[in-house]
Amino acid sequence: MEPDKVLEELKDILVERLKFEPSRLPELTLATILPKGLEGSLGLDSLDFIEMSIAVEERFGFVIDETQDVEAHFQSLGTLVEYIRSRTVAR
Amino acid sequence: MPRVEAVGRQWYSHPYNRSDLYRLAAGLGWLPRRLRLALARQIGRLAPALMPAERAAIRDTMARLTGATGSRLEALTRRVFTDFAMCFSDLVSTNRQPAALLTAHVGKRVGIERLARLTGGLVALTAHVGNWELAGRLLAGRSARPTHVVVAPEEVRELERWVRRDGDGVRFVTRSRPTVSLELVAALRRGEVVGMQGDRALGGRGDIRVPFFGRPASLPLGPFLLASAVGVPLVPAFCLLDTRYQYVVNVAEPLTAARGQEEDAARAWVAILEAVVREYPTQWFNFFDIWQGFDG
Repeated sequence: MEPDKVLEELKDILVERLKFEPSRLPELTLATILPKGLEGSLGLDSLDFIEMSIAVEERFGFVIDETQDVEAHFQSLGTLVEYIRSRTVAR
Repeated sequence: MPRVEAVGRQWYSHPYNRSDLYRLAAGLGWLPRRLRLALARQIGRLAPALMPAERAAIRDTMARLTGATGSRLEALTRRVFTDFAMCFSDLVSTNRQPAALLTAHVGKRVGIERLARLTGGLVALTAHVGNWELAGRLLAGRSARPTHVVVAPEEVRELERWVRRDGDGVRFVTRSRPTVSLELVAALRRGEVVGMQGDRALGGRGDIRVPFFGRPASLPLGPFLLASAVGVPLVPAFCLLDTRYQYVVNVAEPLTAARGQEEDAARAWVAILEAVVREYPTQWFNFFDIWQGFDG
């Protein structure tokens, strides 16, 4: 799956599952930081990350590997896109 | 993005979380426990006069929890401070003993066999009641699987050495970054235990208003959202000090939080918590008005 396509799917998740305002979606890029507390980030909190991880699994059809440290993959939209691509290509 | 962020303090804290107080309490750890607890009670009797704001909050809380008035209410208020002093003394000394020695301080176990029936991951749910940290250590030894205890980042980093000692299957996870929830999801999926406090709101959108002793109070919804996301049960667990200064470990019937019905599970948890607090009102160690919240 192409990065742009994965990014669009993630934007859908943000709106549908995390209730983000759709009008702000054009501002999002692969460089957008996810965790709150960092300048320019989307401001996702711990509950958002739970919902985001479950939604990613459901949308892209894989289970996040619980034996690996996945926090690094959820740092930005770009790192998450790459993680999803690596998991979906590997299947 | 239109997110509602909490303003100001994120959770209740008090000015007595100071390393010198922990050091003092830990320094008395060499005393025989019975003598140490007697000394703690004496110090606890002095505390209400030194902590007027906390005393007022506790007095109001005891009135609501028990309906007591007059001299009985004053006695209950004092008792909260003496009970807390004993549990605090154990927190920084007895709790630091190896797990095998901790069981010597347990006089009664209620419902602990429920843990043996659960084989997968679970959320152990407790509250600031009695010696909650000891409950986590005892259950970690009992469940024979890693236990991740979620704690707030301390305002004074130095405090961690007094109350957060990894080992014996217990690992402390500081809520210092939002992505820590991913770590907890992974732990639950590996069949491990996540210990969380279910009585102290964080001041954000993850809080829920639930009737507690007849009046709405803010409580955290996070434990229930975590359990429902992974599909694991929540096991309410408490560790209370009895009249012989032994601990009673109480494990309640596991709760299920179905997706979209997390608030129902939170209400069921509150009913269990109310029953425990009703039985041990002076071991409800929230020194602020839980109904008004920490910003009130």
